Amino acid sequence: MLAKRFGSPAVNILLLAVALAFIFPVFYTVMTSLRAPGYGLSSDIIPDSFYWGNYARLWSYGRFPRYILNSIIDALGGALLTCVAAAPAAYALARLRFKGRDPLLWFILGMMMIPGLTNLIPLYKLASDLKLLSTYTIMILVFGAYGVPLGVWIMKGFFESIPRELEEAAAIDGATPLQTFLRIVIPISGPGLTATFLINFVYNWNNFITPLILISKTIMKTATVGLFDFQHALEGNQDELLAAACVVILLPAVALFVTMRRYFLQGMIEGAIKG
Amino acid sequence: MYAVAEKARARGMLGRIQEHSHRFYPYLLMAPALILIGVVSMYPTLYSFYLALTTVRKGEMVFIGLENFATIIASRQFWQSLQLTLIFGVFYITLTMLISFLLALAFNRGLSLGALCMTLIFIPWVLSEITSGVMWRWMFYRDYGVLQNLIGPLFGGVTLIATPAGAMGIVTAASVWRSTAFTMLLLLAGLQTIPKEVYEAAAIDGATKWTAFWKVTWPLLRPTTLVTVVFLSIQVVNAVGMFLAITEGGPGRATEVLPLHMYREAIQYFHFGYGAALSVIMFFINAILAAVYIRALRSESAWA
Repeated sequence: MLAKRFGSPAVNILLLAVALAFIFPVFYTVMTSLRAPGYGLSSDIIPDSFYWGNYARLWSYGRFPRYILNSIIDALGGALLTCVAAAPAAYALARLRFKGRDPLLWFILGMMMIPGLTNLIPLYKLASDLKLLSTYTIMILVFGAYGVPLGVWIMKGFFESIPRELEEAAAIDGATPLQTFLRIVIPISGPGLTATFLINFVYNWNNFITPLILISKTIMKTATVGLFDFQHALEGNQDELLAAACVVILLPAVALFVTMRRYFLQGMIEGAIKG
Repeated sequence: MYAVAEKARARGMLGRIQEHSHRFYPYLLMAPALILIGVVSMYPTLYSFYLALTTVRKGEMVFIGLENFATIIASRQFWQSLQLTLIFGVFYITLTMLISFLLALAFNRGLSLGALCMTLIFIPWVLSEITSGVMWRWMFYRDYGVLQNLIGPLFGGVTLIATPAGAMGIVTAASVWRSTAFTMLLLLAGLQTIPKEVYEAAAIDGATKWTAFWKVTWPLLRPTTLVTVVFLSIQVVNAVGMFLAITEGGPGRATEVLPLHMYREAIQYFHFGYGAALSVIMFFINAILAAVYIRALRSESAWA
């Protein structure tokens, strides 16, 4: 009976083995980050003793702390901008009837499917003409815009799942759709907004190719672009320091995912298949 | 009597004015999102159509018509990059689907370790491409790489990342590793929409687990599978991060897939017109795939 409900022990153990294999590269990286300077790469997996000093060394290596700060500003600003722009649009699409609603819906879904890669070259040219290369402004704008289609999709699904009664009561009292949205809907939209924010924050935090193209000044680089530079400078000679940088960069995203898993999974399913 | 009718008419007019202004609300609410998408996505895309028709001569941007496209079609590197993208795509999609499908079937049984394993399998998905790239290069590092030492001997002990096929294989494996969790989630969501009653009915009809899978699970999951495959195809056309982080197109240009070719031409060699022309070609491939995706989604929701 128990086996029927929770699967046979064999299947469980097999799945656990697969799961552990999946995180092996992460485990190996954490172990590498704990080796003494000069002992970075090794085919032994676990070091004889743990050396924590690489994290302190990282603090004064290059501009690593500044890269982290830049990543926080860009990712946070972008995710907030996405929420502010996506929520009202999603509300209109979920609740209001208007001309052009259906085409707009499919347009936004189409934008979600087409990645930003193909417009990075013109974007680079435009940003360079407008003197916006290597600024927080361009990164927040671009991250904010990239997140909008997915954000709209997640929020629309969320709005459709909440009961209409409150909004109808507000409408009878003479509230405009905008007032209803701001005073009634937004205060109860915590879960939808959280999913939109978290997913986009992690996407922005991890984004590598966009800042690689749009940022040329060293001081404005994000952690991911900094890591790309570190890879060229450190791989093969100071791998323990490179590993520590990897761990610092992956930790916030992994921690957010592990603690807020529900929001990520629901949001992703909403975004990808609830057409 | 007259006054009441007047009042009613006035209210009607007021109502109509209100109604009229309400008509603008949807567009007002949509405006921030549409402006952002317009400025950051639509306008640059249109601008790339224009850039694709230009080149830089003596520091001046000049209009050259379709010359960039002619150069692309005549370029051997373009066709090789396209071919590499296709090879990568076939292996990446097949392996991702296969592994994700097996995992989804396992998770669908409601295992006691399901939640823990799901979290672990999702961790590669929340890593940046560059972090993943650093890790996978280590796994296949000459002499020290854990996987190099495990798999290398099967191929006569060569350093895999230094060979064209090996390098492509490593990027493919790393990309499958990163995409599996999300793909599995999509398939699992599809599996969970299949009602238990269908299996019970099949069991009553005397179907074995094996026939139940082929006669029930597989046909019912086919729409989800189609959506997922198209989704992965779009990833293939735009896969640049992992290639940049693991091989940078090497050895030689053996892993210079289409998006990486575009990146190098435009950003490293400053051939903006040529790069823009490549991005226009890729945009249309994306647009076609996105259209197929939306059609698949529509028919799936119509079916459900």
